[in-house]
Amino acid sequence: MATHAPAPVSTDAVIAVRGLVKRYGDLVAVDGIDFDVAPGEIFGLLGPNGAGKTTTVEILEGLLSPDGGKATVLGVDVAKGADELKPRIGISLQTAAMYPKLTVVEIIDLFRSFYDRSRPTEELIELLGLGERRKARTAELSGGQRQRLAVALALVNDPELVFLDEPTTGLDPAARRALWDIVSDLKKAGRSVLLTTHYMEEAEILCDRIAIMDHGRILEHGTVDELVSKRFKERAVRFDATDGLDDDALAGLPAVTSVKHDDEAVLLYSTDVGATVGGLLELTNARGVEAENLGIRRATLEDVFLDLTGRALRD
Amino acid sequence: MRPLLTLTAANIRSYTRDRAALFWTLAFPLIFILMFGFIFQGGTTPGLNLGWADQDGTPASAQLRQAFDGLNGVNVIEGDKEASLSNMRDGKVDAVIVVPAGYGEAVASSGGATGPTNIVVYTDPSRANLAGSVEQTVAAVLGAVNLAGRPPLVVAQQETLQTENLNFISYFVPSMLGLSVMQVGIFAAIPLVADREKLILKRLAATPLKRWQLVGSNVLMRLLIALVQSVIIVAVGVALFGVQITGPWALTVVFVSLGAVTFLALGYVIASFAKTEDSANGMTSIVQFPMMFLSGTFFPIESMPAPLQTVARAIPLTYLADALRQVMVGGAAFASLGVCAAVLTGWLVVCFAIASRKFQWQ
Repeated sequence: MATHAPAPVSTDAVIAVRGLVKRYGDLVAVDGIDFDVAPGEIFGLLGPNGAGKTTTVEILEGLLSPDGGKATVLGVDVAKGADELKPRIGISLQTAAMYPKLTVVEIIDLFRSFYDRSRPTEELIELLGLGERRKARTAELSGGQRQRLAVALALVNDPELVFLDEPTTGLDPAARRALWDIVSDLKKAGRSVLLTTHYMEEAEILCDRIAIMDHGRILEHGTVDELVSKRFKERAVRFDATDGLDDDALAGLPAVTSVKHDDEAVLLYSTDVGATVGGLLELTNARGVEAENLGIRRATLEDVFLDLTGRALRD
Repeated sequence: MRPLLTLTAANIRSYTRDRAALFWTLAFPLIFILMFGFIFQGGTTPGLNLGWADQDGTPASAQLRQAFDGLNGVNVIEGDKEASLSNMRDGKVDAVIVVPAGYGEAVASSGGATGPTNIVVYTDPSRANLAGSVEQTVAAVLGAVNLAGRPPLVVAQQETLQTENLNFISYFVPSMLGLSVMQVGIFAAIPLVADREKLILKRLAATPLKRWQLVGSNVLMRLLIALVQSVIIVAVGVALFGVQITGPWALTVVFVSLGAVTFLALGYVIASFAKTEDSANGMTSIVQFPMMFLSGTFFPIESMPAPLQTVARAIPLTYLADALRQVMVGGAAFASLGVCAAVLTGWLVVCFAIASRKFQWQ
């Protein structure tokens, strides 16, 4: 019943989305988006809460029907073939609650019984590091353990394609890292993954390609390098905002191409960091203020998002 | 089939680990029965009213009447056989003794040639305590008539008569069973809404599991609980309070099952309108309490004011409890069994129609 051979890898896109639309009354949750996910890649939908990521994923999982456009998953039109698709995909919802009174083993066994073909319970428990909690009821699990159980349930049918909706939201850094390893291993085993996240770092580390989503639209997509280098030849000089430094003065500093604000921080995008920092220190000395927490970094997804939307991406 | 069974097993496991659910569906009805049973147990037989139909009319039969009348706490009410039995059906007398013609002659012949003669004692088996004390009284009197060491002159021939006035506990036990079956059904709304709120239903919808399997597992589990409840409630009624179950088991099972499915459908209707677990809790109470008090479980429907009787006539629990009382202890019919089954089925169809349109899976 259990098979461990990787699912057959097709050369066509595992997900193809064209002009997808979903409305809730007047609200357009998904506003005509297009993207493809290639076999064997980890594709990230990145955006703030309410951007339309979950709606998109739930359409692809066959849980919601779209109001317009077309979505094909594993070669099947999701609007018509959801039943055909369900045995072949694995999903983990944003909220990873399960029957609170059942144990980890009982729930995995229950989900295995829904599929014609399934991986052994013990193998899943070992893979997700749930061995010590096998007899624990799900109500007693920590947030990280609950997420790992949700991922285990997404893998019971050994799916070709896995959907993970915000798999690390609310987890502490260690639990988050543990889950990243599991997702990376999925890729190594030849599975395709579509994940949503609002953590920049997660998208940068895990995803082969990313689509940045906001207000139901995809603003940009590509690899992290593509997204960053397309917009920023410069590096960023950042420091805590202070009243004594106005944007006009900062924009006039040597080599500065633009000035942006990210919450409490000021970002100076510069083609020559040395010249910019020298000029900044002269300016602060002259005005008797200090640029605290001064630092230099290359542009990141964070900068891309800020540039695209005019605001920072935060929890 | 396999997902249906595994999901049913999972539901039962969840249920048996839920102390609140166990209390409300299993312990609560038992507590009610024990409480009411012990409160009303003593009060039902302040004295023994004995209907007396003397078809013999000899000094010997008059002497026997004297023997009963002279006993403490026994009140003999004379009448012909038909009138006495009718009195017993109406609850005016507790038992009827018929002394057949030829009794005096038989006693006079000392039983020599004809053998012992019979008197006929009518009791109601569903009033077990009463039937017992009648039996003891008769045995005591006949013991005095039949002298020790001689062949008996007079023996009591036991006959049963179903009376319409059930004693309280015999009335209450099947009513309470009906009430419990109702709770098993409508309380399903609460875990259903909780599972939807926690997105468990949504998660299941993303598996190949079919909706009929999901609903079917709920039906199977609730049926099983209802049947377990029936066994427990009946066992306590019989063992502690001597309730006499007269009716066929199969028919009891049929009505318990029909009731469980009907009220489960009503539970799905509640879950169709309740958005949160709290509102599901509130709505089950709103549905539960009027049914509890207006269905004749605690007071007979005839004793209610007319407007409330109209309500009682409409609610499904009235018909389930009525059917169970008729089937199990020979209670007086409010409606015929066919009507009871039809009303319950009607509610089932209507609730199913509403729930299948309105129930939200996500």
